[in-house]
Amino acid sequence: MATTFADQLRSLTDEALSALVQLRPDLVVPVPADISALAVRAQSRGSVARCLDGLDEFTLHILDAARLSRSEESATTSVAAILELATGVAADDVRVAIDRLRVRFLLYSGYENGGDEHDGGDDGALRLVGAIDEVTSPYPAGLGRPADFLDPQTSALCADKAKLRRTVLAAPPGARAVLDRLAAGPPIGALGRESVAEPVRWLVDHHVLVPISEAGRAPRPDGELVELPREVGLLLRRDTGPLGALRPFPPIPEGATRDPKSVDSAGAGQVMEAVRSTESLLEALAAEPAPVLRAGGLGVRDLKRLSRSAGVDEPGAALLLEVAYAAGLLGESDVAGTGRSVTVSRAGGAVDEIFLPTGAYDMWRALSTAQRWTALARAWLAMTRQPGLVGSRDDRDRPINALAPDAERAGAPQARREALFVLADLKPGTAPQVDEVLGLLAWQTPRRARGREAVHRDALASGAQLGVSALGAITSYGRLLLEDVDEGDLDPLGVRPGSTEPRGDAVRTLDALLPAPVDHVLVQADLSVVVPGPPEPELAAELDVIAEPESAGGASVFRVTAASVRRALDVGYTAADLHSLFRRRSRTPVPQTLTYMIDDAARKHGGLRAGSAGSYLRSDDEALLTEVLADKRLVSLGLRPIAPTVLVSPLQVARMLGALRDAGFAPVAEDAGGAAVLTRPKVRRAPTRTSVAARLADQSGPPMLAGPRLAGVVEQIRRGDIATRAARRAPVSVRAANGQGVPGLTSVQQHGQAMAVLQQAVREKARVWVGYVDSHGATLSRLVRPVSLSAGYLRAEDERTETLHTFALHRITAAVPDEES
Amino acid sequence: MSGGPLIVQSDKTLLLEVDHPDAQACRMAIAPFAELERSPEHVHTYRLTPLGLWNARAAGHDAESVVDSLIKFSRYPVPHALLVDVAETMDRYGRLQLANDPSHGLVLRGLDKIVLIEVAKSKKLAGMLGGKIDDETIAVHPSERGRLKQALLKLGWPAEDLAGYVDGEAHEINLAEDGWTLRSYQQEAVDGFWAGGSGVVVLPCGAGKTLVGAAAMATAKATTLILVTNTVAGRQWKRELIARTSLTEEEIGEYSGERKEIRAVTIATYQVLTSRRGGAFTHLDLFGARDWGLVIYDEVHLLPAPIFRFTADLQARRRLGLTATLVREDGREGDVFSLIGPKRYDAPWKDIEAQGWIAPAECVEVRVTLTDAERMTYAVAEAEERYRVAATARTKLPVVKAIVDKHPDEPVLVIGGFLDQLHQLGEYLDAPIVEGSTTNKERERLFDAFRAGELRTLVLSKVGNFSIDLPEAAVAIQVSGTFGSRQEEAQRLGRVLRPKADGRQAHFYTVVSRDTIDTEYAAHRQRFLAEQGYAYTIVDADDILGPALPQID
Repeated sequence: MATTFADQLRSLTDEALSALVQLRPDLVVPVPADISALAVRAQSRGSVARCLDGLDEFTLHILDAARLSRSEESATTSVAAILELATGVAADDVRVAIDRLRVRFLLYSGYENGGDEHDGGDDGALRLVGAIDEVTSPYPAGLGRPADFLDPQTSALCADKAKLRRTVLAAPPGARAVLDRLAAGPPIGALGRESVAEPVRWLVDHHVLVPISEAGRAPRPDGELVELPREVGLLLRRDTGPLGALRPFPPIPEGATRDPKSVDSAGAGQVMEAVRSTESLLEALAAEPAPVLRAGGLGVRDLKRLSRSAGVDEPGAALLLEVAYAAGLLGESDVAGTGRSVTVSRAGGAVDEIFLPTGAYDMWRALSTAQRWTALARAWLAMTRQPGLVGSRDDRDRPINALAPDAERAGAPQARREALFVLADLKPGTAPQVDEVLGLLAWQTPRRARGREAVHRDALASGAQLGVSALGAITSYGRLLLEDVDEGDLDPLGVRPGSTEPRGDAVRTLDALLPAPVDHVLVQADLSVVVPGPPEPELAAELDVIAEPESAGGASVFRVTAASVRRALDVGYTAADLHSLFRRRSRTPVPQTLTYMIDDAARKHGGLRAGSAGSYLRSDDEALLTEVLADKRLVSLGLRPIAPTVLVSPLQVARMLGALRDAGFAPVAEDAGGAAVLTRPKVRRAPTRTSVAARLADQSGPPMLAGPRLAGVVEQIRRGDIATRAARRAPVSVRAANGQGVPGLTSVQQHGQAMAVLQQAVREKARVWVGYVDSHGATLSRLVRPVSLSAGYLRAEDERTETLHTFALHRITAAVPDEES
Repeated sequence: MSGGPLIVQSDKTLLLEVDHPDAQACRMAIAPFAELERSPEHVHTYRLTPLGLWNARAAGHDAESVVDSLIKFSRYPVPHALLVDVAETMDRYGRLQLANDPSHGLVLRGLDKIVLIEVAKSKKLAGMLGGKIDDETIAVHPSERGRLKQALLKLGWPAEDLAGYVDGEAHEINLAEDGWTLRSYQQEAVDGFWAGGSGVVVLPCGAGKTLVGAAAMATAKATTLILVTNTVAGRQWKRELIARTSLTEEEIGEYSGERKEIRAVTIATYQVLTSRRGGAFTHLDLFGARDWGLVIYDEVHLLPAPIFRFTADLQARRRLGLTATLVREDGREGDVFSLIGPKRYDAPWKDIEAQGWIAPAECVEVRVTLTDAERMTYAVAEAEERYRVAATARTKLPVVKAIVDKHPDEPVLVIGGFLDQLHQLGEYLDAPIVEGSTTNKERERLFDAFRAGELRTLVLSKVGNFSIDLPEAAVAIQVSGTFGSRQEEAQRLGRVLRPKADGRQAHFYTVVSRDTIDTEYAAHRQRFLAEQGYAYTIVDADDILGPALPQID
């Protein structure tokens, strides 16, 4: 079979082969050695599953139809057989879906002689890739197994169509409800549920349902299982068709229509808000850095504090902090202040680390609002984090913290883009309900969307909070941003012919929506200063120093207080500077109170002077101090009068005393409390050393071994010997895998290849050499015949010893088919 | 961008640029749901509060119209989240209703069953709710109506009160509009109050709050209980009611420390109601003495804590709160709103001034420099004594005298907080003093003399903070106060705001000691008035004491 599959691949034109590779890019990572290797990989479980993940609901239904319509003897199907099952939809739609499956080589021509695959027509045999059954539900299209498999009495019932119909029609309402539920799929139900026990028993008694039991399995807590046979399921699906309701086209989200202008406007408002909140969060963090938790992340209390000071709710603060981290505006630093690169893994942060804004933050602040937002939004689209998880609890019921490793989700960027592209594909201003978006996503890629609802919801909510979307619809600049990012993604290295920078359409569009910066203020008598719009960077910097912020948003309100004026004086403004600043910036007359306050603060400023000195010299006798000051021999002391009775010197007391005494003065030293200190010369000594006699006895030569430790060493050596002997018998590649690996392949790829070989061997019942690592860490190899491959274990028969071995898959290092068989 | 006059801030404040051509229209549009917080000269600040939005809902405005006016007048894009928040907040109102059920009496009805279940489970409502009548209705103990409304407000599910008010004992009261009429803003205030049922009216000092009370009584035409701060204020109410309404002396009772009359209209003081004998409030019966149709709380910003508790029991009666400054240094404004009712009318001081109903005032802060000896005393004073030392510096005396001399023809009030200082001032200025220990009779005599112009200068202690009607006073000099109390400052300014016969300007001086805590307190005290648009001027005492007096107009 595999040869046929490979031969078909071999006979493809270059175009068709590249189409396959384009649709299933994982087939060529790494590039396979030859077509046979490609064939093995294309039939491997992982690759098939990945391919199925990308298919839409309808195509998957058609695949189910293909599985259902396989004939028992030849295990092949045909287009005609599939069409027969897919009722209620246009045949052409079905053919398109079949073609989709064929170009992906999930379906391939089933002629053993490898004849031309285009000649078959509707009746040409089609074969399914074997791995499909392993990675999809055991019940294709939600139908149970045929009655023949299950139970002879049921089989007899099903053979008699009229009797079956009568039995089903005679079912009491409760039983009918159970039947309808099982018919919708999956066809398996538990017997134990109290509420349905009675109707299910009726159905079982009438052989409409078949109890199934798997030998050797632990009894289920909810009782035994029952299965609805395929024939009954098909009968119950008379109205919808054998495959259930088919939707060949995606559901179109309806949604309200909003004025694109008001969408953009609300979004722009949200953009300003997001940028401003991010800045105040980071400012709050800079003012009081938060420690990195031992397990990584930001503590709940710190998040609360930051969100309060920035005026955002906690989930919002968590999102913005995550985005800021992803954008590189925020990073860890150890307490000493030596910054670490932001790319350092967050796992296992040490206690002595803190979160701080990075240097990039200062550059970011210098950008325009639109540029700042774009930086944030791009980081958001690309970050592998799910901020919506912050505040919820993980499997072990521990809270998930912001910036903690627990909120890492590798699939997040893709989910985010999927959700936003749904919005972006709609007409501008269309605002679908969240559930409609999720419904469409579930149609597009049902296998992927399952379990991703939370991520998608999170993506839509975060998008609204960042202003990518507003009023439920995507904004014009949000659309451009997505296009921009999308183009960038086509080239993983980011090198694009023409430009290396993002095109910046989003920035330009957004710029036009945002208010222009203002350079003036309104000063009022209650000493409040209003900037009626976003302030210019220069104005913002000035106000930062001379006033306290009171409220922010479209405009900013500041208040001038005595303390803020003093702060301005501290950083070097003079009263005149402040007066002229207010005169220049204010559109309104400067109130007299403000002028007076500035003068008053300036008058008081510097009333006290502080400084440092190495030592002081004081005396009640001013003449004596003047004499000291005038003494030429003491110039080296650098004395300076700071009051008529006090001199200071930058030198230490001891030097000053020495110099004064040499010059013939009689100074006395004072201690911190002002009492006189009397000094006596000190005898000098070297640091204390220990005596040689105290040292431990001599310890030369290697340590002696005894007892269990010795036994352990011996066992280790023996084991190594056995392993070497065993490996000598195995093929080179298995031995090599046990050593340092096959050149050119990473261990992961090696492992993947081994799995593919094993899966193939299970199907073909062939013998393989398996290399593995035993529980002592020794590498062994064995010639076995694989029996099954499931739940992380390989069960295989060793024909020489006639025993069944179980190998943990993660311990298997290599698998090579046995050439002799 | 529409270039409108309104800027929406992320902390839910709205900035209104007053000089913008659309400012007036915008003000009309946002007034129903946003509360005016500050009104200095150029940019007024409004705030969006849940309470304000719910009141707007109660008055028939829906979220759509609120959002529309925000977007229409906003200069910059309004954040999406804020619009969503407004809509969600307003949507919470009215999911619960308090109603009178014909068979079960007062009930809490849930239009949204889940909300009703949620609040019924809340511990905060324990003991207020009675038995469950059906899925959507729960009985309420009538006595808990006020507390229940307050608790629901705190839970964020305000109930729409459809239970109405008792009419009370009918009593014919009419306004006697002979030669005067109710001013337009007074009429609006009364209408606003009556439409809302209960609530607080905020009007500047001297703008005629008593008349708003009288007009409310004339609308209710029912027995009325009036609660006032002190006996003198009570007598002023009585005088005013007799002059301006059809009520006669016999119909108005005084319930105070001196007299205990209960009549159709009864004026009681907070003091007597909160006096205790043996730990029990002995005068509470007054609330139940008659079937009052209206309860008026004068100077509601001073409402003492026990009265709050009694008021919770009066939720079936109409309540009117009157004040000039609803700023409480204890931060209990919220309790006033939830127990007496939301703010029903508020007029910026400067608007009333522009209409000529209160006198324009000039506020001057005079800074005196302490002598070296005083500075030394101040420097070594204990922390709790520092304000007293700074505020009562003797250096202030000549400055006060100079100010009094600067206004030779005008009646002057000197107001202070420390008795020693007032006595010094009394001697220094040769003026009588009215303080707490002055008998009511003596007070009346001095006030009459002052009104008649026989007495030019009067020194007042804290009794001068409120409710003294001295229309002719044109100059107030404040020498010390209750630390940084903003409402005290406003009340003191209010003493000189009665419009003068010749439209003269009023003067309000504050004498503070430079470089001391006195200055800091003064700055805090001025906050409220500065936010109302009063621009203070700061001058040095030397400019006042100096030979060439600068002309200040």
